[in-house]
Amino acid sequence: MNPLLTLLQINDSVFPIGSFTHSYGLETYIHKGIVHDSKSTEAYAEKMLRYNFFYNDAAFFHETWKICEKKALKQKLIELDNFITSLKSPYEIRDASKKLAVRFLKVVESFQSIRRCKAYLEAIQAGEAHGHYAMAFAMYAHAQNINLDDALSAFYYNSLNGIVTNCAKLVPISQMDGQKILFKLQPLIRELVDKQADMDPDMIGNCCVAQDIRCMQHEKLYTRIYIS
Amino acid sequence: MDSIIKINVERDGRQSRLKESYHNAPYKLTHYGSPRAQDHLEMIIMSASPGIMDKDSLVIDVHVKENAHLKLFTQSFNKLHPMKEGASQETKVLLDKDSVFNYVPHPVTPFKDSIFKTVNTIHVNDGATLIWGDIISAGRVHRDEVFAFRKLHSITRIYQDGKLLVTDNQCLLPQEQPVSDLLFFEGYTHQATLIYCGPFAKLMKGEMDEILTMEYEDVSFGFTECAENTLLLRAVGTDGELLYNFLTMLAQMCWVFTQDQLVTKAEETAGIVAETAPKETASKMVDAKEAVKKKTIAKGKKAVKKTVEQRTVSKKAV
Repeated sequence: MNPLLTLLQINDSVFPIGSFTHSYGLETYIHKGIVHDSKSTEAYAEKMLRYNFFYNDAAFFHETWKICEKKALKQKLIELDNFITSLKSPYEIRDASKKLAVRFLKVVESFQSIRRCKAYLEAIQAGEAHGHYAMAFAMYAHAQNINLDDALSAFYYNSLNGIVTNCAKLVPISQMDGQKILFKLQPLIRELVDKQADMDPDMIGNCCVAQDIRCMQHEKLYTRIYIS
Repeated sequence: MDSIIKINVERDGRQSRLKESYHNAPYKLTHYGSPRAQDHLEMIIMSASPGIMDKDSLVIDVHVKENAHLKLFTQSFNKLHPMKEGASQETKVLLDKDSVFNYVPHPVTPFKDSIFKTVNTIHVNDGATLIWGDIISAGRVHRDEVFAFRKLHSITRIYQDGKLLVTDNQCLLPQEQPVSDLLFFEGYTHQATLIYCGPFAKLMKGEMDEILTMEYEDVSFGFTECAENTLLLRAVGTDGELLYNFLTMLAQMCWVFTQDQLVTKAEETAGIVAETAPKETASKMVDAKEAVKKKTIAKGKKAVKKTVEQRTVSKKAV
C-alpha cells in the first residue's frame, strides 16, 4: 500500500469515525461568545495546538509511536492507555477519545488486519483498555510505514481542521477565512512536530484549566449540536 | 528548610483518634478545637513561618486507617516568597478501608519570582472516601502582582486499589504561556479544583446536578465524572476568599453526604431493613433516605446562595 495515500485516507475529515460530531469544548466557547469571529477562531486554534494538543493528544500519539518502534509488549500499550484515561478528566472528552478509537480500529481492521491494532480493539472491547484515538491512529500509521514526521503533522492538521470546520458551521466564519487559518498555521504545526520529541516528560497531559472547565460546562449546555 | 508533617489516624470505638504524629519547625500540628467535640478527628496545620521560602521542602504524610475519619485544615493562605532555585512540597496520602479524608487547604499565593512544585500521591483503598481541594491564585492581586511568579507546577495522582485513576498535571509558566488569556485563566485571577473520590461519587453527582444549576458572575465552574467513582469540579474566579468559601462549602456537602450514606450502609449491613423489619418499616426507611437526600439538596442550595450573597454584600461595601 502507498503510505501517503493511506495517510490521506485515514486523515480525511470524511473518514467514517464520527470526528465531525465532536467539538472538544469549542461549542461552549462559541455559545458564550468567547470565540465569535475569524480572529478569535484563529487565536483559539493557535492556543489549542500550542498549549493543549502539544502536551496531550500529540504527546500521547508520540508516546504510542515510541512503544511501537520498540516492538514492546501489549502491556506497555495498556499502561499508556490507562495513563491517558487518568488524564482526560472531562467525561465527554474521555468518551470521545474512546468512540473515535473504536470506530477507527474497526474501519482499518476491515481493510487489512494489523495484529497490534486488532489486539488493542479486543482489549478495549474486553474492558482491559479504555481506548484512545491518538493511540489507535499512531499504531495504524506506524504499521503502514508512514514516517513519524508526516503522521504527526497530519494528526495536528486533523485537529486544526476539526476546529476550523466547527467554527465555519457554528460561529460562523467564512470558508475562505477557515482555509486561510489552515494555511497560516502550517509553520506552527512544523514547529510543534519538531519540538515533540524534546517535550519535558513532566509536562505530559498538562491541563489548561479554563479549557477543561469549558469541556465540563458542555455537559450542561442547553442547546448542543456536538457530542463533546 | 526541610520539614515533615506526619499524621496517623485510627478508629477507636465511635471516635477517630490521632495515634502517631510528627512535625518539625516551622510547622505545628494541633487539634482544631476540642478533640472530643465530634466523633471524627479535626487537625490543623499551623506555621510559624511567614510562608514558603527558597529551597524549602515539605513532606506531608497522612495515613487514615480503617473506618477512621479525618478533616485536615490549614491556618492561612500559603504564601510563596521570591525564590532563586525554588521550593517543593510532597503530599502522600494513604486511605484504608472505609476511611474518610477531607482536605481543602487555603489558596496558594505565589509572590513575584516564586518557583514551586507540588506532587500529591493519594491511594484510596477499599471503599475509602477522599475529599480534596486545591486553589491557586495569580499572586498578590491587590498589589498588582499578578502572574509575576516564575513557575508553579502541581501534579496530583490518585490511585484506587492500586490502579491509577486520576492524574491532574498543571504547570503554569507565566513567562512562556499567556496564562491570563484564553484556555488558561481567561481574565480570572484564581482557580480551584475539588475532587470527590469514593463509593458515593455517582450519587453525589446527581445531587450536584440538582444543586449547581445557576451561573454566577464571579465564579465560572464545571464539574464532571472524571473517572469511575470520582467527581471533579473546577472553577475560576476573581476572589480567593470567595472561591475558598465556595470550595469548603461544597466539600462540607460531600462530607455530610458521605456520613449520611455511611450510616445508611451500616444500617443495611446490620440487616435492619432486609430481614428483621416488617414491610412498613422498610418503606419508612426509604422515606428517610429520600428525606436525607432532600435535606442535602436544600442545604446545598441555601449554602450556594449564601456564598454568593456574601460576595454581593462585600461588593456593596467596596
